[in-house]
Amino acid sequence: MKKHHISAIVISLITILAGIIASFEFHKLHVSESLYPSERLSSEGMLSDYFSGIKDTNGDTKVYFFDSGKPGATVFLAGGTHPNEPAGYLASVIILENLIPEKGRVIVIPRLNNSAFTCTDPMEAFPQSFHIDTDKGPRKFRFGSRATNPLDQWPDPLVYSHKPSGQQYSGLESRNLNRAYPGSPKGTFTEKVAYAIMQMIEKEEVDISYDLHEAAPEIPIINAIVYHEKSEDIAMYSILELEMEGLQFTPELSPKNFHGLSHREWGDYTKTYPFLMETSSPVQGRLRGKTNEELILNGVSENYKIAKETGALRIAYRDEGEQLEHRVGRHLSGFMAIINSYNEIHIDNTVKISGLPAYQELVENGIGKYLNN
Amino acid sequence: MNFELIILLLMLASFAISVFVLKMPAGVSLILAAVVGGLVDGHGIPVRQLVEGGFGFMEAIMIIATAMIFMKIMESSGVLALISLGIIKTFHKKPSLLIIVIVLFVMFPGMLTGLSSTCVLTTGVLVAPVLLAIGIPRLAAGSLIAMAAVFGEVAPPISIPVMIIGGGVDMPYIGFTIPLLLVSLPAALFTAIYFRIRFVKKINLDLVLEKLNLIENDQRGFKLYIPLIFVIGYMISEIVFHEYFLHLGVPLIFTIGSVLGIIISPKTKIIKVSRKALRMALPVIVILVGVGMFLQILTLTGVRGYLAISALQLPDAVKYMAAAVMPFMGSAYASASVIGVPLVYVFIGKSAVVVTASLVMMAALGDLMPPPSLLCAYAAQTVGVKNHFKILKQSIIPIIFSMFVAIIVLIFAEDISRFFF
Repeated sequence: MKKHHISAIVISLITILAGIIASFEFHKLHVSESLYPSERLSSEGMLSDYFSGIKDTNGDTKVYFFDSGKPGATVFLAGGTHPNEPAGYLASVIILENLIPEKGRVIVIPRLNNSAFTCTDPMEAFPQSFHIDTDKGPRKFRFGSRATNPLDQWPDPLVYSHKPSGQQYSGLESRNLNRAYPGSPKGTFTEKVAYAIMQMIEKEEVDISYDLHEAAPEIPIINAIVYHEKSEDIAMYSILELEMEGLQFTPELSPKNFHGLSHREWGDYTKTYPFLMETSSPVQGRLRGKTNEELILNGVSENYKIAKETGALRIAYRDEGEQLEHRVGRHLSGFMAIINSYNEIHIDNTVKISGLPAYQELVENGIGKYLNN
Repeated sequence: MNFELIILLLMLASFAISVFVLKMPAGVSLILAAVVGGLVDGHGIPVRQLVEGGFGFMEAIMIIATAMIFMKIMESSGVLALISLGIIKTFHKKPSLLIIVIVLFVMFPGMLTGLSSTCVLTTGVLVAPVLLAIGIPRLAAGSLIAMAAVFGEVAPPISIPVMIIGGGVDMPYIGFTIPLLLVSLPAALFTAIYFRIRFVKKINLDLVLEKLNLIENDQRGFKLYIPLIFVIGYMISEIVFHEYFLHLGVPLIFTIGSVLGIIISPKTKIIKVSRKALRMALPVIVILVGVGMFLQILTLTGVRGYLAISALQLPDAVKYMAAAVMPFMGSAYASASVIGVPLVYVFIGKSAVVVTASLVMMAALGDLMPPPSLLCAYAAQTVGVKNHFKILKQSIIPIIFSMFVAIIVLIFAEDISRFFF
């Protein structure tokens, strides 16, 4: 046997072995962690109830209903549009596991792009999960990808043309749920999921909608509430209320020509008032140091501190770090402030909820205290 | 010394030892360097991370593999030879135009695949006899083909080094057409004119045709061009008329083009041609897998962030010197991933798209450089020269001009961006 044949056999065996080991790791991503809704949960459904085209696919996801039994407004809260933005997902989980509806209804979808929870992004080196300490021990949560799993939608086009606007994005964005609205029943996997969400918002006559996100500290739209023009009054009132709590939020008007995003298309195609909230997450940043679970949880990054000091970039980073409690707390406070502002403007169709921790409580007690398991 | 810097130095050292001492291919050496990085940072051999990184350029790998098979089928069908013949018959009265068209023709496969070696091994092989027949010496003909291959890799619509840098900095592959043309076309035109002035006098068509001995009348006629027209037409239509064209993806478009080529030229030995094509593509495919793993480990260990933050703190003059180092990595893809990504951060404040285009021009010149000197080696084989370093020497003036264009574009990136966008 020639030398290069031996090399080929050895390399092939190593490749097969690595593939087998990695396949077990990747397979784990397809097992969803359990969520424990509060006792006041009224009913559960599936997103495919609104569009059967996603039934029995990775795009289908649980929809949780909290009905107070008293007439009032309907609120929809989405976490997990981008499963690599953990504060958005965890905020929706805390709401799911603690909510008490007192007037109107709340609909929660914690894993909005369920498919994107089943993969991570190559070359980003993200952990596949992170753990939150609770009284009963650590609880595991999935850390996923920004985009739909390529196993569910592939290949990407060179250029993604958004339907129906025709706006063009890079091919990768074709798997980004937050570029796919209003979606299409005959479109791609991601467009079908987007279509199902639009159907749900319309059929449930949702009054207020939230899409919870995070972004890298160097991204210009950070620590912000992005609002549709019809939601402007509510957004401004809530930002004032948040300021009185000591929380700074930047108001960002949804650009009319930036299509496919929830804050634009939910507002354009349905009667709902849409809001998208962003916090600052160093684990998503390009300047971050070691990529690990600690960075997700503590958000401490010496690199961002230095970058801020150089003044070369506009950096939204606190010197003490961007802890997960702080980021989730901001989302929860933003959620409550928007409901309060809506109620002040729509006095004949209000919604009232309780049971959620305030920002300061969450920061002091930790997230684990508000998780049921 | 910073721990991230130690990791980086150990990774680079293991890469160098693997290439120069163990004589391993560049792709395998990148994988070994990634393993070393994981070990040094205390992750053991992070199998999941390595495998995940290896899939980072899966799409590009599939494009390269299918495009190489397609180009080889086109070559064996004779259509590329017919195009060569058409070029010389059309432009022989205007030698300057002839050389420019030849350069663009050689660039063409690289523009579609983002792979410089495709240019040398397909259209380069076809025009080599034409160049020799019109009086260009072997070394110069090899240099012209190698340089055109570099420009083909940079020019739009598909530029893999841009995608590599874009993947590292979260930048979509949009808006690159004009900046990439801006860095590649002037350099390509200069190279064509440079060799025209130095070597090409009047062209005697009969003498050239006699030397070339090409078959002028192919019975299959227009049919031969159908696969080529389909591939180019569908790729463009899928983007421009997206509402009417089913999205197939570039690999499938090339595959259908290959099937059409086989139907039109049934004598094509598909297994033999495919094996030959994949054998040529394999070193680049392994490099892409290695680059993916290397980048994944740089990110995992914090080295990527360290590079980016260090780059942010560099004084202005040093920033341009750091950019000028790009060609000396010996590989466009390695240069784009290792130096290109942090350099985009260095030039924050200027248009990232234009900056990336200029960096990619410099990175692409790396395919000419030792140690691998891949393009020079392929070009030397094509024109029948034994010492491929002589081709590199012949290319010095076009390389300097290309660097000059790239640096000018880099310096004025923001002004250029404002002018065009």
